[in-house]
Formats: sequence, C-alpha cells, structure tokens
Amino acid sequence: MSRRSRPARVLATIALWSVVAFCVLPILWTFLISIKPEEEITTATLTYLPQHPNFDSYVAIWTRSNFPILISNSLVTTTLTVLICASIGSLAAYAVSRTRFAGRRQIMMLYLGVRMFPAVMIVIPLFITLRQIGLLDSRFGLALSYTSFLLPVFIWMMKGFFDAIPSELEEAARIDGASRLTAMRRVILPLVLGGLAATSVFVAIGAWNDYLFALMLTTSTGSRTWPVGLQLMVGEFQLPWGTLAAGGMISIAPVVALFALAQRTLVRGLTAGAVKG
Amino acid sequence: MRLGDLSERRSWPWYLLAPSLLLIAAVVLYPTLWGMSLSFREMRLNRPDLGTGFVGAKHYWALINDPVFWLSLRNTAVWVVGNTIGEFLLGLATALLLDRNLPGSRLAAVLILLPWFLPNVVAGHMWALMLDPRLGVINDLLVRLGVLDAYHAWFADPDTALGAAMVVEIWHGFPFFALLLLAGLKAIPHELYESAECDGAGWVATLRHVILPQLKTIIVASVVLRVISLVNAPDILLILTGGGPGRATQVLSLYAFLKVSKEFNFGYGSALGMVLFVLLMGFAFLYVRQSNILKEEP
Repeated sequence: MSRRSRPARVLATIALWSVVAFCVLPILWTFLISIKPEEEITTATLTYLPQHPNFDSYVAIWTRSNFPILISNSLVTTTLTVLICASIGSLAAYAVSRTRFAGRRQIMMLYLGVRMFPAVMIVIPLFITLRQIGLLDSRFGLALSYTSFLLPVFIWMMKGFFDAIPSELEEAARIDGASRLTAMRRVILPLVLGGLAATSVFVAIGAWNDYLFALMLTTSTGSRTWPVGLQLMVGEFQLPWGTLAAGGMISIAPVVALFALAQRTLVRGLTAGAVKG
Repeated sequence: MRLGDLSERRSWPWYLLAPSLLLIAAVVLYPTLWGMSLSFREMRLNRPDLGTGFVGAKHYWALINDPVFWLSLRNTAVWVVGNTIGEFLLGLATALLLDRNLPGSRLAAVLILLPWFLPNVVAGHMWALMLDPRLGVINDLLVRLGVLDAYHAWFADPDTALGAAMVVEIWHGFPFFALLLLAGLKAIPHELYESAECDGAGWVATLRHVILPQLKTIIVASVVLRVISLVNAPDILLILTGGGPGRATQVLSLYAFLKVSKEFNFGYGSALGMVLFVLLMGFAFLYVRQSNILKEEP
C-alpha cells in the first residue's frame, strides 16, 4: 500500500525489476547470441555484447534448412485451429453465457474437467484414429487434435467476454422484434469482437507453441511444425548456437507481436473467471 | 427466415452447443475411453504379431514391478511439488509487488508475462544455451562472482539436473500465478486493509489474516490447474534432459511418452497414462474438498 516509508518503496522497486530481469534476460541473451558471429560464441573468453553483430545466423536458418516450410506448416495449422475454435467455440460460449437451460453448469464443468485427461493418454488413440481416416501427418488432423485442449480454454475465456455484455441490450433488440439469432448477430457479436480477437490470439499462441502433439502426430515435412523441426535439427545436425538462437527468435516473433497487441484484453479474459471465483 | 425461427425454440442452446460437444467427444472423451481400454490390452506398433488382445491387468502388474515406474513416481512428486511451491511463492511475491503501484509497474506486468507465452522448445533452448557446461553465460557469471570454482555441467550431473530443470520450469510457469494472484489482489476491498491497519496489524499479519484468506479461492483454483499441467506435460524435461542423466529427471508423463514414441508400446504407455489420470483425480478431489472452497459458494 501507499503509506510506506521511502526506503521500503525503493527496495520493492528493485525487487520488482529484478523479477523483470529474470524474465527478460534469457530472451535478450538469446537475441545477442543470434546476432553474434559463430567465432564470438565459441570463444574461450566470453564477451557479453557482440563485437561484430550481423544477421548471418538468420540467413543461415532461413536459406539452408527447411525452416520456411516448417513455419508455413505451423501457420496453416495455427490458422485452422483458430478457425475451428472461433466458429464452434463462440457458439458454445454464447449459449452458455446468454441462454438459460438445465445442465449449463455441468457443461462448463465438463469443459473444465477435460483438462485433467493426460495428453499422453489422448494422443495414442488420436494417433490410431487419425491414421485410420488418413489424417495422420496432416495439418488439418493436427489442428483437430489441438482443439482437444484449446477448445475448452476458448469456451471458458469467451464465456467471460459474453458475460460482460449487459443483457438489456439484447432484450431491447428482442422487444423491437428481432429474433434471438438476429440479436446475436447484430447486437452481441459486434460488442464481443475485441474479446474474440484476444481469445483467438491465446488459442493461436497455444497451437503455434505446441511440441508434444506435433511430435506424435506429424511424421514428414509435409505437416511437421517448427517446434518439432527445430528440435530435430538440434539432434541431427548439431545445429550451431547462433543458428539455433536465430530460429528461436524467428519463431517467437509472432508470439511476442500478437501478445503485445492483445495483452490488455487478453489479461482481462484470463483473469475474469478468477476474480468472480 | 427458418434459422431465425429455430432460435426461438427452447432447444436453441443445444443447437449452438452441439458442434463443440461433438468435437470434444471425438477428440477428448472417445480417445480417453479408448486409452483406458488400451491399458488393459496388448498393443505394440512395432510388434503386430502380438495382436491387440485383452491382457487384463498385465501392464499394471508390470508397473508395480518396474523400478523405473517407482523412480518416475518419486521424481514426479519432487518435480510437481517443487515447481508448484516455487512458482506460487515467486508469483505471489511478484503480484504483491505489482499491486503497490511502483514506478513502471504497468510495463513490468506485461514483461513478466512473456516467459509464460513462450514455446517450451525455445524456452528450453534459451536456458540450455545459458547453462551450457563450456560456453554458458550463467557458469561464466557464477565463476566471476566466486560462487563456482569451475564451469558446471548442470544437466549432466544427476545431482543438479532436476534442480536446474526446475529453475527453467519455474521461469516458464510462475507468471501464471502472478497474473491470477494479481487479479485477486486488485479485487480485495480497500476497507479491509484500512481496518487491518487500524487494528495495528503489521505486514505479515495483514498477509496472513487479510490477503491470503481473500485469495483462497484463486489460490486453490490456480494450484489445481497448475498441478494438472505439471503432471501431464513432459515438454520441458523432454527438451532439456530427455529424462537423463541416467534416470535422474525421469517423470511419469515423460516415461509414458517415451514408451509410446520410442518403443511404440501403446498398452504400457496407456497404463502409465491411467496412473497419471487417477493421481490427478484423487489430488483434485482431496485438495478441493480439504480447502472447502465449494461450500463457501453462494
């Protein structure tokens, strides 16, 4: 609180920024490695700042490996995941938030409870099923698998955004003779677009980052996503540090950009459920 | 318009819910039930000659006699308890600091969330580079500060591998607690602090008797969610150590995953998955009941 002594406040500020440093320095260090020439990285006397910074490592990973293909596979898979979650999940979240029916609570508990099912146990039958229907090692199959953990999260977050819209608005439209469908499309949807964007960002980051499902469910460059590909390169080619760091920086760039854009609404959506209890 | 008429029916919400329920049934419930049944069957992709017959509790008996299982169970306990406590304490401290309106705390709140949004693969490699036995910057710093005499191979030494991996996981996971606890702190009415101050309560007493009780629901919920993902997700360990050196960092989820992805032993992997599932159900049930949060709900 505010009525504390000055020294305490200074100490607290130092403590807070130490935590920030702990969070940010690993990212900064990786960036520095990515712009150092290889001989500066493998030197016996470590220099912290690059003496001759360049972008050779970025050029190397982008032109001398299949990284562009991996990134485009990830882009397609992520987009598909977001499309599935946004269409199917928004309908469900709307239903749970704006209509009253028996079993509403139970359905939300079901969407929460499915988080408890171990990924390892789900991924085996998914592997077999996807193989049977010819969707193993496909970007669509992978996107479908991602909905197993991202759709419930999407619905929970979207429900919070729908809950925040006052019910009077919808009622007013209904009195004017609009059907529930029209009220949903014309009144509610425009108001919830910001929340929809933030929730989609959250789901997109989840799909973009996933390693475990992609490792099991992709087997070739046709669908392999960047986390699996990058990890394979580390194992197979003894990837030089600079190149690995550059690959890492490229792949987190969209995450950081999306997060920066959506963080305010995102934080509101992630904590809405928490505060209400 | 036909669809508009449909929306006036009482069954309308169920039409909206149907696609999501079907999808969840297809990609979660059905695979889980199948996984449960697989744990009682033989299934090895690289040994089709064994067939996929019912083998009863064979895998479970094998588990009980599998020393790696017990070791993994122990490591899982250390991994989950250590990480949860570490992440919670650091998250709580961070949330308390962020709640004090210190200079730049808006920006700090955003930067602190970054690790949580980073992919496991990159998070793992960032720390692997920093902790490298020959060229890692952390070794360099510790030697310069005089903490270490020589560079240390953190992930190759069985005594430090799990601890070093926990530092990475805590870095990656604590923002989750900071985020939720900060939201909880902001919702505490100011009058409570004021009356605590009137009663002459010090900082520790305020934390114990005002802040923590007010945060109880959030603490219980966030701990349950975090434990679930720590138990289920082997990603960081898979990337950093692969369970080694020896089996020093082998946890149950990783063991199950390696059984499945390396040995293609789906039956045994599913049995390990079942153990995880039962452990989590038991934990969630006991913990939520013990903490009484459901009774306090209106």
